[in-house]
Amino acid sequence: MPRKKVKENKESEHSKDLKMRATITRREVLKMGAAAGAVTILSPTILTSRKSTAYAQGTVEEPILCTPQPATSPAHVPFVDDLPIPSIAIPTILNPQPTKNANTPLEAARDPHQRWEEFNPSIQYLLTAKAGTHRFHRDYLPSYIWGFNGQYPGPTILNAYGVPSLVRFKNDLPATTLSFGKNQTTVHLHNGHTASESDGFAGDLFNRGLFKDNHYVNAYAGIDEFGSQPPLGVKGDPREAMYTFWYHDHLLAETANNNYLGMNGVYLMYDHKSPPWEFSTPGSLRLPGIYGVTDIPLLLGIRRFCPHDPARNRTEMFQQIGSAAPASDKWVVNGKIQPKLSVRRRKYRFRMINSGVTLPWDLSLHGPEGSVSGQQRRMTIVAVDGNLLRTPADVSATSGFTRMDIPVASRTDVIIDFSMFSVGQSAYLVENTQNPPVGQFVATPTPADPAPGIPIGRVLMRFDIIGNATIPDTPAIPSTLTDLPPMPAAAPGVDPFEWGFRFIPGQPDGNSFRISHSTTTDDNTQHTNSFFAFDPVTHPEGTGGPFDPGRADHVVLKGTSEEWVIRNDTLAGGWLHPVHIHLEEGRILERTVCNTPSATGCLDANRVNVPLLPWEDGNNSRRDVYSVPGQHNLRIRIKFRDFKGRYLIHCHNMNHEDAFMMVRWDVVETMAELRQRREQINEERVARGDTPLYRKEELG
Amino acid sequence: MKRRGFLKKFRGDQPAEPSAAKPLRAPVQGVPHVGSPGPRLFTNARLRTHENKEVRFYDDLIAGKQVLINLMYATCEGACPLITSRLVKVYDALKDRMGKDLFMYSITVKPEDDDPAALMHYAHMHGALKPGWTFLTGDPYDIETIRYRLFAMDHIAIDTNIYGHTSFLKIINDATNHSLHVDPQASLTTVLWKISMANPPMTQEQIFEENKKLQERIDKERRIYGYRMTI
Repeated sequence: MPRKKVKENKESEHSKDLKMRATITRREVLKMGAAAGAVTILSPTILTSRKSTAYAQGTVEEPILCTPQPATSPAHVPFVDDLPIPSIAIPTILNPQPTKNANTPLEAARDPHQRWEEFNPSIQYLLTAKAGTHRFHRDYLPSYIWGFNGQYPGPTILNAYGVPSLVRFKNDLPATTLSFGKNQTTVHLHNGHTASESDGFAGDLFNRGLFKDNHYVNAYAGIDEFGSQPPLGVKGDPREAMYTFWYHDHLLAETANNNYLGMNGVYLMYDHKSPPWEFSTPGSLRLPGIYGVTDIPLLLGIRRFCPHDPARNRTEMFQQIGSAAPASDKWVVNGKIQPKLSVRRRKYRFRMINSGVTLPWDLSLHGPEGSVSGQQRRMTIVAVDGNLLRTPADVSATSGFTRMDIPVASRTDVIIDFSMFSVGQSAYLVENTQNPPVGQFVATPTPADPAPGIPIGRVLMRFDIIGNATIPDTPAIPSTLTDLPPMPAAAPGVDPFEWGFRFIPGQPDGNSFRISHSTTTDDNTQHTNSFFAFDPVTHPEGTGGPFDPGRADHVVLKGTSEEWVIRNDTLAGGWLHPVHIHLEEGRILERTVCNTPSATGCLDANRVNVPLLPWEDGNNSRRDVYSVPGQHNLRIRIKFRDFKGRYLIHCHNMNHEDAFMMVRWDVVETMAELRQRREQINEERVARGDTPLYRKEELG
Repeated sequence: MKRRGFLKKFRGDQPAEPSAAKPLRAPVQGVPHVGSPGPRLFTNARLRTHENKEVRFYDDLIAGKQVLINLMYATCEGACPLITSRLVKVYDALKDRMGKDLFMYSITVKPEDDDPAALMHYAHMHGALKPGWTFLTGDPYDIETIRYRLFAMDHIAIDTNIYGHTSFLKIINDATNHSLHVDPQASLTTVLWKISMANPPMTQEQIFEENKKLQERIDKERRIYGYRMTI
């Protein structure tokens, strides 16, 4: 990597401090790598903190936003930047020491940590949300960002199951800003099995100057049932392991803006099956596993930029005060536009994360096959939403699955075996459906396409095969990666609860996302009733009204499971809603589509089954983001374990969740509580002329 | 350690602070923010109040102020009266500030029908004749412009329907450059919380004080419900 431009930006004391820490990091990382083999030869840019220089609070010059929206972002030359690898977060010793109860006055108000004594955190981190600058491309000047530790992407946290951790998120965002960000925050570890008070619930926001300790138990789900399990004594059901997470701002109604500004980062978990090394150890699947070397996170995002402003040495991101995150024309991987990555002829694990803010990705890998360029080549999906697939699935021209969909906030871990290419060749990660047919704006005139049939604007990044493997390749991917826990049972006599999207003309999207109760005699009238029974005009208060962080619309009992239906009645071609459920992974039983499109509901007889993809089928995978296109119905099973408190189900299109396409549901611990809360919800619904949500036998 | 020392050497050579990188001045309520789009966005359209006074939209009503703006029309029988009654509740919750550092504007989307007298009648009928709450009418072209400038959602079904916008409350603080919107039909707590996002920034002491009070409320709720339930 080029060793220049170190002092290109004017530095404050603080930024130099950060750089010094970065120096230590790099050394430590190299040390780590040396143990695993001749890593340094392979190593791409390990650290980004040099370029995304952070400043002390209040000293980063605020952006001057351009308006109106520029027709295009500035041009860029493709494939000139090396793919940055997000730096690794360094554990620290926090002062003041984390406590079970909120550390007032400095810590944000919260409930005491659940299971604190059981999982006393042995590793502590400090991530500070603050303003900084970041260069999105060689041809771009620095852009104003908000990021954790002032950098984008934020530092990657590497943790192991069985080692509870605590991350102190400090809010040092500017007191006043010219950007469209809002200087409050709450941080969600997506999709940690996390207690409510550490889950980044949208309403648990806190102001600048405060910090909040998020306690991550780093145990598998099922702590109550399973206790500690061999081989390593980790608590919970090892089949519930999840590996690829990301943390991001979840501020009520302002998530899109803060994430667009850069407030997110990667969080990886390791255990005996998926350790941070590749040599053979008991239980290890031996997937490529050296962080930043053969195991690389790809944080995919979208942005739009203002024209260059050389006088201020800035190329600002386009933002419009008072608006949602804008439609974008640049695709960004780990903070760079169309980067390149030098790889060797062996297997690599890429953890692709759709960091949003609004659009799903639909990806494929293309490269030369023999003398024919631009052929689709194989990627093997080994995990989705952090969960290993039981049987890995190929995405290739011949496997039957030619596209890999990654809805917003979803994660897909793929293995690419570059030994199918020759030294000197290049492969391309291609997005297929956004902004057809050209994809992102590159430059005028448009540069030559990398291969016939692959417009340059559709390419996310390039892989350059620079030589044979220097670290020995990992063995073939096992044909079975994991056992799945048994499918959660639906409680007898309980009908599925249904979460539905409708488009109500003249109403903001959020007014149409509601819970209702589907019945065994699922018919059009029933749905019409349950959906239209809520009239936002006459019943502005109470259960079923637009999202209110202080009100739960559904209550479940800890330790039980339920069947939920996620239903999108918007017409085909309308919005695809990536639905995210906090706390627990779910299993998809069935996907149906209405064959007589209707925005008012669909008769059961008109629903036809859609075959499940191997990476959404509940018998092969577990998900926390459910992709629901218009007219689709998804039937899932989900079990609620280990923690009580308030959780969310919401559309993860961040502009949609900011429009309150979000519902709070609660986990309670006793039957008495369940009964009381459910009766209360029923009463509120009946009082405003709606049908009760719970039948008598469901009251508990 | 050598390397660390090496970097230390450079520390002294650097200017203490780059001169361009000054923090923004603290916003002063009453003074437009340096980043305010001003009349370029809001327009300085000449509008008429329900008291039949002529005002300029930006200079007289928005410049340097925290304001709430919604759209309505006097003959509306659907959502408007309910939204107006909701706004009365919002007003009452914030009445200590209303007319002093917080102002409410209701603009008619049917200026052809709604003259100042009609607006006065509407305000009177809905108990909205309160200090700091102004109903506005004006030239239809000006009002159409304001509607598109402030209330456009990039959503064809909403933007082309003049009645669609009645369900938005625009929250603007021209002194802090905040601009947000909320559905006034959301719960009162949500509406008040969104309005508070555009409040002038609190001092650190105020933040600590507010946080302390919140913790006390959470502790109280925990004794009743077992966890933070309604706040």
